[in-house]
Amino acid sequence: MSGFLPLEGVRVCDFACVWAGQSATMYLADLGADCIRVENPHVWNPATRAAAPVLPAALAARLPAWMGGHPGGDPGSRPWNNSPAFIHVVRNKRSFTVDSRRPEGLAIVKRLIAISDVLAENLARGTLEKLGLDDDAIRAARPDIVILHMPAYGRTGAYVEGRGYGAHIDGVAGATVLRGYRDSAPETNVQTFTGDFFVGMHGAVAMLAALRHRRRTGRGQTIELAQAECSASMFPQAALDAAWNGRAAHTLGNRSDQGFAPNGVFAARGEERWLALSCRSDAEWAALVEHMGRPAWALDPAYAAVAGRLAAEDRIEAELAAWIAARDRDELFRDLQAAGVTAGPVLSARDAAEDPHARQSPVWRRLEATEDYPAAEFPAPSFTFSRSDVTLRTPPALLGEHNDYVYRELLGLDDEECARLEAAGHIATTYGPEVLGR
Amino acid sequence: MAEAAGALDGVTVVDLTAHVAGPYATKLLADLGARVVKIERPGGDPARALGPWLDDEPGPDRGGAWQFLNTNKESIVLDLKTAGGRGALERLLPRASLVVVGHAPAVAERLGTAPDALRAVADVNVLSITNFGWSGPYRDYALSETALYAMGGEMFSHGTADREPLKLGGTVSLLQCGAMAAIAALGAVHAGEVHGIAQRVDVSLFDVQLNSVDRRSSTILAWRFSGRVNERPAAAGPSTAGGLAGVFPCADGYVELTASAGPYWRRFAEMIGRPDFLEPPWTDPAWLATPEARAEIDLALVPWLLERTRAQVWEAARECHAILAPLFTAADLYADPVFRERGLWERVEHETLGAFPMLGRPYLLGETPWAIRRAAPRLGQDTDAILAELGYDRAARDELRRTGAAA
Repeated sequence: MSGFLPLEGVRVCDFACVWAGQSATMYLADLGADCIRVENPHVWNPATRAAAPVLPAALAARLPAWMGGHPGGDPGSRPWNNSPAFIHVVRNKRSFTVDSRRPEGLAIVKRLIAISDVLAENLARGTLEKLGLDDDAIRAARPDIVILHMPAYGRTGAYVEGRGYGAHIDGVAGATVLRGYRDSAPETNVQTFTGDFFVGMHGAVAMLAALRHRRRTGRGQTIELAQAECSASMFPQAALDAAWNGRAAHTLGNRSDQGFAPNGVFAARGEERWLALSCRSDAEWAALVEHMGRPAWALDPAYAAVAGRLAAEDRIEAELAAWIAARDRDELFRDLQAAGVTAGPVLSARDAAEDPHARQSPVWRRLEATEDYPAAEFPAPSFTFSRSDVTLRTPPALLGEHNDYVYRELLGLDDEECARLEAAGHIATTYGPEVLGR
Repeated sequence: MAEAAGALDGVTVVDLTAHVAGPYATKLLADLGARVVKIERPGGDPARALGPWLDDEPGPDRGGAWQFLNTNKESIVLDLKTAGGRGALERLLPRASLVVVGHAPAVAERLGTAPDALRAVADVNVLSITNFGWSGPYRDYALSETALYAMGGEMFSHGTADREPLKLGGTVSLLQCGAMAAIAALGAVHAGEVHGIAQRVDVSLFDVQLNSVDRRSSTILAWRFSGRVNERPAAAGPSTAGGLAGVFPCADGYVELTASAGPYWRRFAEMIGRPDFLEPPWTDPAWLATPEARAEIDLALVPWLLERTRAQVWEAARECHAILAPLFTAADLYADPVFRERGLWERVEHETLGAFPMLGRPYLLGETPWAIRRAAPRLGQDTDAILAELGYDRAARDELRRTGAAA
């Protein structure tokens, strides 16, 4: 594998935050863009580098594992460099710090924009404008730039002032009412952030398309990705059932939206050993019946066709639950797959990390220990290229890790200027006292 | 239906995918202006059999999944098991900027559509989308939306501790994988145009979900870092641990609210008109986590919400920049005047079905419009034209159809 990076020579000025924006620019970084995070050491951007800038171990322990599971359970004095929630979306990127609220900081940002090909942001609406970076100002610095805005609900219309994280945007996009147990109200739903991931990928697709147009024509453009609108594409079947048939879909629990029956998640032998099972066709059902040893209940001729099974889902699920409860999850998984039945274990984070198939897939790559985290397998891109070096090339960017690269190499500042900007609090590798409360 | 060229104008994609994930990847490319030639097997893409149906009436062109996933594509029916069908595919390959193959490894090896076999015919980019990749113990295993989210995604922590783990709605995991494949596809197109190379690109659905940002990368990394496993919460419903968060009922439905300590709590207090919530003990996050605090919050919040509709609550939230949003159903989303005004919904003209509404653009590109130029194709709608383009004269085209190699 040699170079041939798809986005060689493309620079991204990255104002992205949280998951949606940071994952969008990460995909460009994965494909070889020089993606430079613009970070303000005097402003704490919520849910972007960690749960909080000061995070005692006792507090981290009370947070859910995905947010609070820092190395050894102790975030240490720089939680922003080792958060399991966010560190993986700064892979392959660079980080530089600047206080863009001050004129000299803004001037630095504009110099970076002038040598960038893309500017991406999903900050709360109006944040960039307040800094003096509306589209006109950005284009004044770089006329042919591609700009990606990812507002929650759009840059026009009555919802422009709406604020939300992934869970809220999912709510408007119709995701939340489609998940949950069949017998429970939405108020018992736990938060998921499904749209963040989806929207981030679409941001990358849009930027990739705009970059191609720019390479061919020399013209940049502005992309508006309203996260709620984009997230609506997660549920086209429900959306069109509403538009075409006036139906408001509701949760099906673990039953299928595609007419598969049975389709569910069942407890296997032991604690927290769950197996997902789908009969995607009559042939899969027949294979399941054979594999179960043709029990009398399953031989009802009405069940041979999916319509009959849909009509008897409660009974079939109860019988299956009893059959699965007495068996080992992983054996059943392999045996059912070998028999031609679609099944899969519900893998906990530990199971996934130890899964024999996942262990040899390209999605994880071991990184050496640093001051901030131990040696561990980190997420690498989910795609492999036979001739381009698309992988986890550089570890997650620590705060301000690439200040020298940006200030000296890219912007050509000398020692004296750098010393002055450091003294003025622009160049930093930690947050300022107003953020840390010290 | 705009006529301006899309950003991917000039990109030609040969599409050997079916069902949901692969077709979503090529739909994203087609809607941005790529020419996508979809090769359907005799009888058609199984997605043609998926509901919901236009006017609740089933039919091969009437499915919502089918219509959504295949906008702007052309359809040619080829039986790749025949020499004639194979020959037509081989004439198509050199014309492609990119070939996308969704066949399972064993099927691809049988049909001669494995990436290396296709690349032996022509030096083109080939993107392979598989369930579990091309090697490893699960290589030939089947997946459904549910099994995919169970294994790759974060199903384990979705739901409550006393009950079974839960899948998400719809076919969202499959669609996510399609979107990731579209990124990989465009990566290959860029590398091809910049460096003059073609290559093989691989994406597996399992790998995409394992790296899903919706907590999955985080939970796995948290396990590696700390030995903590992300679990389903014991209790259902809103919580005040780490700040108020959860789903609450209002007069006509539900809203999702987050009011964690700091500015979000201040905006929440302002929204419900309780300035006293900004005074001690409310300034102490530890107090917020107590049952007493929760009881007081409910006493203030629940009546306030129940007196208001979702629209009224959301308006009040927007005025204060409080972090709150209504839970919409798809019907709400379709009826919503603001999204309508913004153009979320399109109207598609179909040759035989007439006009119908279609879920529209995921993004707006200022210079190179996203556009539905054409409804999803009828089965084999473009077979004859494409075969003619490939140099088959009328007699040869008739022969391909007569032998069942094309339809």
